[in-house]
Amino acid sequence: MTSLFEMKEKGYIPQKMYAKLFIAGAFSLSKTLLLNIGDLKKLRNIPPGSQRYIRPKRDYEIPKFTKDMKINNSDEKYLRPTLYCDHREPEVVALAHKLGAYKKSDKEFAEAAFELVKEHMILEICPLNRVGETINRGTGTCFHLITVFIALCRAAGIKARYKIFAMNMIQAWYDSVVEADPLVKKWYDSMGYFMLEGEGEAFIDGKWVVAHVGAEAERQAAAGIPITKFGEDSIGNWFFAIPGTIMYMESIPYGFSGSTKLLKKIAPGSMERVNISIQKQIKKGHKIIEESGGVEAYDKIARSQKGAKKPELKIESKSQIVFED
Amino acid sequence: MTIDFDDYIKRFDKHVEKYIPPKKDWAPPDLAVYGPKDPFKVPLKEGKELQFDAIKYQFKNHYENNKMYHGFCKELKFTTDKIKKYEDLEKIPLIPAEFYKEYPLGKDFALWLANIFTGEIPQVKISGKNPNFDDIINSFNASGLAVAYSSGTSGRHTFIPRDNRTFFIAEYAAAKNAICMAYPVYSYDMKGYLLMPNPFKTNVFAGKVCTIYYDAISEVKSAIDKEINTELIKLSMTGSGGFKAKMIKKYLAKMNKKIINDIIKWIEKNNKEKNKIVFAGAPFFLYEVTNKLKEQGKTFDFSDKGAILTGGGWKVHENQRVSLEDFRKQMKEVLGINSEHCLDLYGMVEGNGWNIHCPEGHYLHIPYTYYHPMVLDDKFKPVGYGEWGRFAFLDGSTFSYPGFIISGDKVRMLEHCPVCDRPGPVLEPEVTRASGKEMRGCAEELRRMISTDAGGD
Repeated sequence: MTSLFEMKEKGYIPQKMYAKLFIAGAFSLSKTLLLNIGDLKKLRNIPPGSQRYIRPKRDYEIPKFTKDMKINNSDEKYLRPTLYCDHREPEVVALAHKLGAYKKSDKEFAEAAFELVKEHMILEICPLNRVGETINRGTGTCFHLITVFIALCRAAGIKARYKIFAMNMIQAWYDSVVEADPLVKKWYDSMGYFMLEGEGEAFIDGKWVVAHVGAEAERQAAAGIPITKFGEDSIGNWFFAIPGTIMYMESIPYGFSGSTKLLKKIAPGSMERVNISIQKQIKKGHKIIEESGGVEAYDKIARSQKGAKKPELKIESKSQIVFED
Repeated sequence: MTIDFDDYIKRFDKHVEKYIPPKKDWAPPDLAVYGPKDPFKVPLKEGKELQFDAIKYQFKNHYENNKMYHGFCKELKFTTDKIKKYEDLEKIPLIPAEFYKEYPLGKDFALWLANIFTGEIPQVKISGKNPNFDDIINSFNASGLAVAYSSGTSGRHTFIPRDNRTFFIAEYAAAKNAICMAYPVYSYDMKGYLLMPNPFKTNVFAGKVCTIYYDAISEVKSAIDKEINTELIKLSMTGSGGFKAKMIKKYLAKMNKKIINDIIKWIEKNNKEKNKIVFAGAPFFLYEVTNKLKEQGKTFDFSDKGAILTGGGWKVHENQRVSLEDFRKQMKEVLGINSEHCLDLYGMVEGNGWNIHCPEGHYLHIPYTYYHPMVLDDKFKPVGYGEWGRFAFLDGSTFSYPGFIISGDKVRMLEHCPVCDRPGPVLEPEVTRASGKEMRGCAEELRRMISTDAGGD
C-alpha cells in the first residue's frame, strides 16, 4: 500500500493550484449540466443512424517483451513509476527498446519517443487507464499520450515529468475540439478556459525539454499551425496558459482518473462527438499536407506565416530586487 | 484674437515644465521630442534627421544595456555598426508586442520586469510571501519607475517598464501632439473631464499617462475615481471569481450609470458658467451621454469653447461600433462641438508615439521626429505606402525598454495627408485589429469593465 509519505513525495496528492482548477472545473461542469438537463438528455447518446466513432487501427508494432531487455529499476524522482505511468510494464519496456533505449543518446531517444507518440498515436477522449493499455490501443487523451511519452523516457533511464496548466486556445482548435459538442462548448464558454491541459518534459543534457505529444501533424495542419517538434511548446503556439497555472508534476494526481470515468458515464455522446470531430480534422489535415507537397513543405509554409520571431528571455536574479517575506 | 502659435506652445510648456528635462541634459531622443514647436510641421528632412539620431541613440542604448535585446540582435546578426543611413533603420530587429504579454507570476514577475529593463534598475523592495502584480508594480513605482500596463480584454495584460524619463516623454508627447493639432483651442483655464480612471489611482497606462492633464489644465475631473488594479480588472473582465466578480460587475455597472449622470451635470454647470471645456478619453462615455441628452431633448453650444480628444476604440456596445464620422456628427448635434475640435488619438502602451487626427481631414498624423512607422506584410517585411498590413514602429523615445515593436493592429499608411499640408506620413483614420489578435484598445477594455452588456454576465 502506498504510504502517505510516498503519496506526498510523488505528487499523488494534488497541488493547491491543481485542486483549485479541478474544483472550479467540476463546479462549472455541474452547473452546465444542471442548467442544461434537457440538452444533456438529448446529447448524452448518439442517436441511431448518426455517424459513430470508429477507433482507427493502431499503426505501429509492439515487439514482444523478453527477459533480456534492460529495465530501469531506479527509485529516483522522475525515474520511478507513478500513477498510471509504470514504465516497467512489458509493453513500455519492449517499445522503449524498439525505439533504441540504452543505445541512442538521451536526446535521440526522446525524439524517437516523441515522434512515435505524437505522430502515430491518436487523440481519443476516453477514461484514463494504465500506460500499457494505451500503447496497445494506440489512442488516448493528451494525458494518456503524455503518460506514454513519460513512461518511454523513464524506461530508457531518462527523467521525465508532467507540465500541466489551464489554458485557452486558438480559434481553429476551439472549432475542432470545443465546438464539436454543444455541452463541451457550454462548459468551456462558462469558464472561458479549459481547466487542464498538459505536456511532457524530458530531462536532456541538464535541461528540461518540453514535448507536446497530443497533436499529430494532421490536426496541426487542419488548424493552420506549424508541425511542432520535440522541444517546441504548445503554449504560445495554439494554447495560451492562464497566468499562474503552470505546474510541474512527477505524477498524475489522485482523482483525475475517477473524473474521466464519471464524465464518460454522464456524457458518453459528448465524448464520442469530440472523437468524431478529431477524426474529421485528421482527414482535413491530411488533405492540406498532401496539397502542400508533404509534411516538410507544409511546415515551411506554416512557419513562414506564423508570428514574428520573439526574443528569448532567460530570467536571472537581480541584486536590486529585494524580496522581504 | 487668435493667440500666436509660439505663445500658445510657450504657455503650454510653462505649465508642464516639470515633464521637460533641462536642455543641457538633452540627448538626441529629448531633442526629437521636446525640440520641435509643432512635431507635425517639422520639414521632412529635418524631421528624419531628428528621428534617425534618436532611434540610433536608443538602439545603441538597448543593444548595450539590455541583455535580452542584445541576445536577440546577436541571434539576428544585427549590430550597432549596421545603422549608417536612414534606410538602415528598417533593419532594426523588432519585438512582437506579444512578447510583453508573456510573463511569469509572483516573485518571478518582478524578475521578469527587471530582466526586460534597459540599464540599471534601482533597488526595489517587495514585501509579502506571494506578491501579486499590483504589489510588484507598486513597489517598482515606489522606487522611481513608472511601470504601466494595458488591461487586456482576455485578462492578459501587457506590462511595460518605463523609467520616469520615458514616462514623462509619453505624457508630454500625448499632450503636446494633441494641443498642436487642436490649436488654438487649448488654454490653461479650460475645464477638463477625463473619461478614464483617475491617473493617480491606477497603473493602467491609458489612465496613468493622463497625469499631465492635471498640470496642463486648471481643473480636471475624472470619470472613475476608484482604484483600478489588475485584480479588479480580472474580476470584472474575465468573469472568474464567482460571487465576488458578480458583485464587482454589478457595482461597476451602477457606477457607469452614475458617471453618465455626473458628466451631464458637469456639462450643464460649465455651460452655465460659460467655461471652455475639453473631454479626453474613451468615446463610449460621450456617446452614452449624448444619447441620454438627446432623449431628454437637451442640446448645448460649445462650438467655440469645446474640444474632444478620444482614444482607445470605437465600440459603444458589445455588438455596436460607432463610426468616427457619426460620433463627430452626434457631438456637433448635441454638444455643439465642432468636428475639427473632435480628434482621435492612436497610441499604445508599448510606445510613446501618439498619432493624432488632423482637424482638417481626420487622418492620423505620425510624430515622425522621434517615431519611425512601418507597415508589415504577412511575412513581417515592410510594405510601401498605400498597402494594408501590420503596424510596427521604432520608437526613439524609450530609454528603459526597446520600443521597437510589431503591433497587432491593421493599418494603411499614406506618404502625405490627402487633406492637410502637414508634411509627414499618416495612417488612415480608423485602425482595426489584425486577424487572430485579441480585441484591444483602452476604451474597449474600459467599456468591457464597466458595461453590463459585456464580460462574464
